Amino acid sequence: MAQTRTVTRSEGREARIGRGARVRGRIHGDGDLVVEGHVEGDLAIRGDLTIAEGASVTSKVVEAQTVTIAGTLEGDLAASGPVRLVAGARVRGNLRGSAVAIDDGARFSGRLDCEFELPPELGGTSRNESRGRTGAATRR
Amino acid sequence: MASTVIGAGITVEGEITTDEDVVVAGTVRGKLSAKEGVTIEHGATVEADVSGGSLVVAGALTGNVTVTERVDLQQGARVIGNVKAARVTIADGAQFKGNVDMDV
Repeated sequence: MAQTRTVTRSEGREARIGRGARVRGRIHGDGDLVVEGHVEGDLAIRGDLTIAEGASVTSKVVEAQTVTIAGTLEGDLAASGPVRLVAGARVRGNLRGSAVAIDDGARFSGRLDCEFELPPELGGTSRNESRGRTGAATRR
Repeated sequence: MASTVIGAGITVEGEITTDEDVVVAGTVRGKLSAKEGVTIEHGATVEADVSGGSLVVAGALTGNVTVTERVDLQQGARVIGNVKAARVTIADGAQFKGNVDMDV
């Protein structure tokens, strides 16, 4: 059957929840996602996630690769890549990522779980592990 | 560019509500309500009741449609459900099963 091209296809375009939109339910799949509106429900994507300024995500667990947050996140975040909380972000929940950056002006309340190289003066404890793990971190 | 885009690889199970427009290239199951235009692209799958200002379908839609202005079923569209709109077009090559209510 002949392929129709009457509608411009959005292959390669990112997914976006617009400013005036609200999603209640589960979002999953492949590709990047930008949330400018509101999401209530679990979010699991194989791609990068951006929670824009003014956006809010309320979720038990958010799974993504690289995550940038400028809006509000209530819930745990498990990122396979780096996580960045930029100024104005507000996060309540536990964060996990390959690296976590919290900018000045970001508010975060929860546990921080990431692996990083400890400097030698901190790594010389009884355990000779080069992996660090922070406990409960709160920054407001 | 649409304000809300459900990309080709993305699935939403639940309810999408917006006062702007929506383009679906991926999968939506549940409910889809927009105040403005809804576009279901070729390759997209929507199993949801759809409401909005207008609707263009080139993909697969199962669900009832209530739209204030017009519904255009384009070539390649596959729609199962009842359609309620002031104006409806069904292009050659569009598949449709259901009732049309143009509020005559």
